[in-house]
Amino acid sequence: MKIVFVAAAVLLVGLYPLVVRGPYPQHLMILVLLNALLGTAWNILGGFAGQISLGQATFFGAGAFTSTLLFQHAGVSPWLGLLAGAAVAAGLALVIGYPCFRLSGHYFAIATIAVGEIVGIVVTNWDFAGGAVGLFLPVEGESIGAFKFGDKLGYHYVIATLLGVSLALAAWLRRGRPGYYWRAIREDQAAARSVGVPATRYKQLAIAISAALTAMAGTFYAQYVLFIDPPSVLPLSLSIQICLVAVLGGAGTLLGPVLGALVLVPLSAATSVALGGSGRSLDLVVYGLLIMLIAAFEPAGLVGLARRLRGHPTR
Amino acid sequence: MTTAQVAQALVSGLLIGFVFALIAAGLTLIFGVMEIVNFAHGEFLMLSMYLSYFLHAGLGWDPIAALPVNAAALFALGVLVYYALIRRVLRAPMLAQIFATFGLGVFLQNAAQFLWRPDFRTLGDSWVTGRLAVAGVYVSGPQLAAAGGAVLTTGALWWLLSRTEVGRALLATAEDRHAASLMGINPDRMFALAWGLGAACVGVAGALLSTFYYVFPQVGSVFALIAFVAVALGGFGSVVGAFAGGVLIGVVESLAGVFVAPAIKNVFVFAIYLVVVLLRPRGLFGKL
Amino acid sequence: MSRRPAPALALAVLAVSLVSPRARAAPPTEVVIGAVYPLSGNLAKVGNDIKDAIELAAELVNEDVDLPVPLGKGKGLTNLGGARIRVVFADHQSSPEKGLSEAERLITQEKIVAVMGSYNSNVTATASQAAERLKTPFLNADSTSPLLTGRGFRWFFRTTPTDDEFSENFFKFLGEMKKRGKGIKNVALFYENTLFGTDVSKFEKKYAQQYGYPVVADVAYDAKSTNLNAEIQRLKAASADVLLQASYTNDAILSTKTMKELDFRPQAILAMDAGHVSSEFVPSLGKDAEGVLSREVWALGLGAKKPIVQKVNELFRKRTQAGRGQPIDMDGTSARAFVGLLVLADAINRAGSTEAEKIRGALEATDLPGDQLIMPWKGVKFDPKTHQNTLGSGILVQIQDGKYVVVYPFDLAAADVRWPLPAWGK
Repeated sequence: MKIVFVAAAVLLVGLYPLVVRGPYPQHLMILVLLNALLGTAWNILGGFAGQISLGQATFFGAGAFTSTLLFQHAGVSPWLGLLAGAAVAAGLALVIGYPCFRLSGHYFAIATIAVGEIVGIVVTNWDFAGGAVGLFLPVEGESIGAFKFGDKLGYHYVIATLLGVSLALAAWLRRGRPGYYWRAIREDQAAARSVGVPATRYKQLAIAISAALTAMAGTFYAQYVLFIDPPSVLPLSLSIQICLVAVLGGAGTLLGPVLGALVLVPLSAATSVALGGSGRSLDLVVYGLLIMLIAAFEPAGLVGLARRLRGHPTR
Repeated sequence: MTTAQVAQALVSGLLIGFVFALIAAGLTLIFGVMEIVNFAHGEFLMLSMYLSYFLHAGLGWDPIAALPVNAAALFALGVLVYYALIRRVLRAPMLAQIFATFGLGVFLQNAAQFLWRPDFRTLGDSWVTGRLAVAGVYVSGPQLAAAGGAVLTTGALWWLLSRTEVGRALLATAEDRHAASLMGINPDRMFALAWGLGAACVGVAGALLSTFYYVFPQVGSVFALIAFVAVALGGFGSVVGAFAGGVLIGVVESLAGVFVAPAIKNVFVFAIYLVVVLLRPRGLFGKL
Repeated sequence: MSRRPAPALALAVLAVSLVSPRARAAPPTEVVIGAVYPLSGNLAKVGNDIKDAIELAAELVNEDVDLPVPLGKGKGLTNLGGARIRVVFADHQSSPEKGLSEAERLITQEKIVAVMGSYNSNVTATASQAAERLKTPFLNADSTSPLLTGRGFRWFFRTTPTDDEFSENFFKFLGEMKKRGKGIKNVALFYENTLFGTDVSKFEKKYAQQYGYPVVADVAYDAKSTNLNAEIQRLKAASADVLLQASYTNDAILSTKTMKELDFRPQAILAMDAGHVSSEFVPSLGKDAEGVLSREVWALGLGAKKPIVQKVNELFRKRTQAGRGQPIDMDGTSARAFVGLLVLADAINRAGSTEAEKIRGALEATDLPGDQLIMPWKGVKFDPKTHQNTLGSGILVQIQDGKYVVVYPFDLAAADVRWPLPAWGK
């Protein structure tokens, strides 16, 4: 059953840009896939392991800046940059995790905010990284090798592949020992420790993987928009948005982030187009209302809602 | 680096720190009683500032004189938010609670922009306009009044919590809501009260701020982040802690800004947070 | 502007062209231009001012008006059979990614012939990238980061002068003041730390060195600060003669208040537009705003020497009164947006076609004389390589008795410079 479902999804995503030809709907789908990837990455740390991170943008920016700087200063191919960015982010994550995992719940969350803000301020004042001005990537020179495509198809398949790999990874981890330990840590860390679960080591694993995946999304973004600056890849609002995608869809589930992205991206675009042009922020008012409603009435997110409608009890 | 400069930096830092402290106190109260972080706290501040603005522009009321109105109005808002929204997420996972108040914040901020336009508004002169010079250190009237008001209000809050029966009921509920209900305390009412008081505190802060800061829909976000850090720094749930956290942040920000580099002064603020919680994972005075 | 008439219109045009056999395709009855600006969020007011200015310009083109503006006479685009201009707006919410996608959406779904945008330099960067890829003309009237015309784009055109020229202008002005006997030995820089301020500071540092003024303090600050006490304290400690400042509205107001509180008063404050010339600056600060100098691109006071300025401003006031409930005066941003649309319309008209390449060619050939513009420019003419308007220039205004008065260049000045800044009142 699941195989059929997965195959259908792969087919749909694979055929989408061939059937839907307008650049704008193609762009929206790319955004959906990108946000789904970011949500999945967050989910590993926040949903599976229960460590609420509100600083994912740090890793997103790390990926984007690493690959861009490597390209600009050493001519390194963005594909290698993709991997380098992931490595840098994972390293950064371990450094952050080591002290911060001693904190619990809200303290940890605010610590991730604090780290995010520090990194944002530092990069803004760091000329080598472009400072406040940001970094431009050249618009010409389209080819697969250059990780730059003239139309959206190439980008679509790249991000779809990244997402697929991440979901497969998440599914595999979840089913194996890491997932088992993470669940224990999430439910009750002290109890887990008392039965021998190496909590810190596994939390570190979670944040490293989460960071690596987020960083790859960052590199993708840089190659797609061809311009990065601290406000676009490092802000707190992005971290919140990433969190939101997973929570809306259903934190802790595999499909949650995907569903969340599928709903949030078009919604944001639609309200923005329909209402935002009036300059009166009505679209964001609706957005806020929706977030409240989901939080108040179906905290298990869309997945929870779906389960409820099918008659299963929610977690 | 002269003594006069250090003194000025300290004084400026303290004054703004007291205002941070008041905002943080309200936030920590809510958390202390029910373990929910109000991510819309900044928007409560913003609403209070708009209230001061409209009372001043429409009725000519001085914001300091109208302060009780702010407190009462925000108290009502806090209670309303509790019954309409928060009650439903009391038993929900932490994430849902975060997003409930976060969504409220987004809603309020943009509703304000929709209703009142994004223009900046200032209140012009109030009772406390002006500036004092004491031994070479300049103190602005509004900031001094804000600091004074903040200290008084936080003190009043602390007194309420520790010396009155209602306050003790609140603390009891914070400690253990089941035990408290066994003692005849209605936790539901206590939660509503916590929200009301927490909002009232930030309402007072808003009235005080409006005498020298400008009013616009996003003003809440500017102060809210500092408040969260202050609360965490001082220890979630501790009013004394929030006060200490707020003041500490104000001073650190000021000293770092004057003597290191203003562009990265907030790095020091966030760094102090990280250092403190790593040494004391529950914050300076945290008890939870 | 409702989108509903468009499909009906399109059908009508289609029907007509089907009926008339083998005729040249009938000229379009409307030409659609896209505009990507910050219509919500922090810069919503700026975005809406721009929107009103652009719509006013479109109206003047579409109607037959007795004003010496390009295409004022005659209804619509005269070379295109009187086709009316319709502008479709999109909100980029100050996000470069949204700017990119909205530009793309407008080009591919709304079938616009050209794009205008986007105020924020970093959003203009990405939005114009989209236009470049999709081979659509992009006219920028209001982003001053010099980087934008240094990218070798074929489809990007900019009418506004850049921060490079504006910064050098400051030092030319200081030189003139020194000649008048003012003792100006050094300067201090004070700027918000995003793209705008950082860019400006780079050029100010370059010209400070070139013109021989030591920079005794270089203070970048976070525009989202809750207070600027520390920053002003540092400036005070450096005691420079002249302060060069680049701030947005809220920080311009806050910093001025803080300067008063901490009793910091240089001989002069030279501001780089933005916050210091926003319509909230003087009302918020009253007497405390007196004497501030700012580079500007435009001022209502130009109306003394150019009556068209007054006339257009009156129309703008009427429009904002009707649409937003209160009459608002034009400022540098709305004025440039107004002119930007006219430049585009003029080019499309000269092209006599809605074909992208023809419009692009017409833009390159633009040569509008200064007297048809409400700007203090000699005209609009684009550099063949960079597509930067070479005839633009900035002015300096000073707040005198609550009004912005043109004080430099001296030949356009309406009054003398008041130097130094008055002592703080109360």
